[in-house]
Amino acid sequence: MSTMTAGPAESTLAAADFDTLAGGLTEPEAIAVARAAAWERFTALPWPTKKSEEWRYTDLTKVGFEALTPVVPATATAEALSADVREVLGRSGERAGVVVLREGRVAHLELEPEVARSGVVLCSIRDAADRHPEVLRRALFEVQPGPAEEKLWALHLALLGGGYFLHVPRGVEMPAPIHAFHIVERAGTLSSAHSFVYGESGARASVIDEFLSDDLDAETVSLHGATITGEGGAGIEYVALQRFGRGVKRFSTQHVAAGRDSRIVTFNVTLGGDLARTDVTSRLDGPGSDSEMLALWFGDSDQHFDHHTLQHHAAPHAHSDLLFKGALTDSGSSVFRGLIRVDKGAQLTDAYQTNRNLLLSEGSHASALPNLEIEADDVRCSHGATIGQVEDGQLFYLMSRGLTRRQAERLLVFGFFDEVLGRLPMEGVRARVREAIEEKIGL
Amino acid sequence: MSEPLLSIRGLRAKVEGEDAEILRGVDLDLQRGEVHALMGPNGSGKSTLAKVIAGHPAYEVTAGEILFEGEDVLELEPDERSRAGIFLAFQYPAEIPGVSIANFLRTAVNSRLDEGEEMDVFGFQRTLAEKMEMLKMDPGFATRYVNDGFSGGEKKRNEILQMAVLRPALGVLDETDSGLDIDALKVVARGVNRLSEADEALGVLLITHYKRILNYIQPDIVHVMMAGRIAESGGASLADKLEAEGYDWLQQTAAV
Repeated sequence: MSTMTAGPAESTLAAADFDTLAGGLTEPEAIAVARAAAWERFTALPWPTKKSEEWRYTDLTKVGFEALTPVVPATATAEALSADVREVLGRSGERAGVVVLREGRVAHLELEPEVARSGVVLCSIRDAADRHPEVLRRALFEVQPGPAEEKLWALHLALLGGGYFLHVPRGVEMPAPIHAFHIVERAGTLSSAHSFVYGESGARASVIDEFLSDDLDAETVSLHGATITGEGGAGIEYVALQRFGRGVKRFSTQHVAAGRDSRIVTFNVTLGGDLARTDVTSRLDGPGSDSEMLALWFGDSDQHFDHHTLQHHAAPHAHSDLLFKGALTDSGSSVFRGLIRVDKGAQLTDAYQTNRNLLLSEGSHASALPNLEIEADDVRCSHGATIGQVEDGQLFYLMSRGLTRRQAERLLVFGFFDEVLGRLPMEGVRARVREAIEEKIGL
Repeated sequence: MSEPLLSIRGLRAKVEGEDAEILRGVDLDLQRGEVHALMGPNGSGKSTLAKVIAGHPAYEVTAGEILFEGEDVLELEPDERSRAGIFLAFQYPAEIPGVSIANFLRTAVNSRLDEGEEMDVFGFQRTLAEKMEMLKMDPGFATRYVNDGFSGGEKKRNEILQMAVLRPALGVLDETDSGLDIDALKVVARGVNRLSEADEALGVLLITHYKRILNYIQPDIVHVMMAGRIAESGGASLADKLEAEGYDWLQQTAAV
């Protein structure tokens, strides 16, 4: 990559150097050094190609990263809630706080005073970098991604500055979710945001990240990372609801670390964008920990959704259960590639992995590659995947009640999704997700 | 007499891709407000006729016509026939896991609205509750998944519930009585009678093996189907004769 002289803000990624990316902002030494190292790594690594197993179905070389304008990390502002956000909030249930991000920059942040008094911290990643640089550095810069994910992860870290930081102290149970809106407005940009969720022992937290944009007329990339950590006995529910407009390509890498007897639920809903890649790794670090990994997607037109998961059992007596369901129509395509890895010492592991796909059209295509890698000898593991179509008998039954073929198919997709939706513990969050799916599917 | 609600002429049909005809020239006229019973032995084509009327894609009509309110419906899709006013109560209703009865019926009612027309959500809920009460169904039933894990009786009741909510002009009841104990049968029969009382123009084609249900739903006309044709038609007393003598005396007619 050549380094050219460019203005401080609006250069392309190809022309950017680290000083441009820093945007003249001061930040704590620990973060600045780690970000600079990430940038070095990003520039040194080659883009992964379709030859690597992890990128076999998604051609990164076709994404024009080099021509995008990176959005530099910026300090938070305090703008009023926009009408679209207020509208969604008005229809959602109770909440403990709201974060609005624009191209990763925190534009609005509020936390219920009562929740703040209980010791919960909600702030921008930039403020966290000032106030808790070590916590942030350890939680983010010491994550070891797989070789095929390293380049994008390094870019995400180099651009770090966008996103929010949620810390729930020992024993504090948040009464309602935090609702974050990740809005992308500028076509042709490359932006990045991080969701940092940390629950100390016995803490309870629920977060919904909603990703949205209009249809954009130029290729636009949104990078997202999440680190979700639960100490002993913590309970965390994390939902990512992605409903970007067309033109957006998004890459989300999520790392879950589950401590002793903690219970962590992640739920990815993918509806929007041209291309969406989601990597979820759950590390069961503590004995008795429990990770539930859920996902739903509905792809139409020529949307392509690619999912990679790892259930990594590093401790004994832990439980993980993955259920990913997708439906596709038109020329939509999707990939599920999942691995259960059980380390040698992780005896009495209980791990499940299921991927089910429903194809509504001749032109749609799903790939499913579930996998196991088990080194312990006393475990219970199962994995399975199916790819099927709607049943003629069900279709005729619904049509005989007046539903058009399209309505009948869409209702069957709802029925297919219901099993997963039903596993979301918080009713308000469940209702919001259901509403977004209804809007996409259209009945 | 005015134009029949349902008029079937010379109807021949077979399973798509197979040679043997199951319907071999069915003729039947059903006037508005009439209840017709269609009886006959196993394999005579009763259920096939029901499915062909509803537009089941597995069957191919090779000759004849089905006129509903004077319009040929053979070219219509199943959903178009339904919205036109034809209702089939299935012998074996499909199970739809994940879709609640309320959601399903709301979608079905919605599909009948003109573009831009808003559904009266409260009105729908009131109607649904009323009809469920009429059929002695627990209110919690509305949130259950359509036919998923239902007993035979619950499935049949659910069919009549749908008919009550959708208010068709013609109800084709395909062995709605089979598999029901006497109490369930009475509830279902009472439900159908109440629909007939509420809508005097409602036409019913009641397909059954047994005379039992005809003790509770009085037919105006009884037809007997044999080998793909209507072999005999008569008044309610024909059912008694069939009960007493079986179908053998009709074999000759059918063999023509």
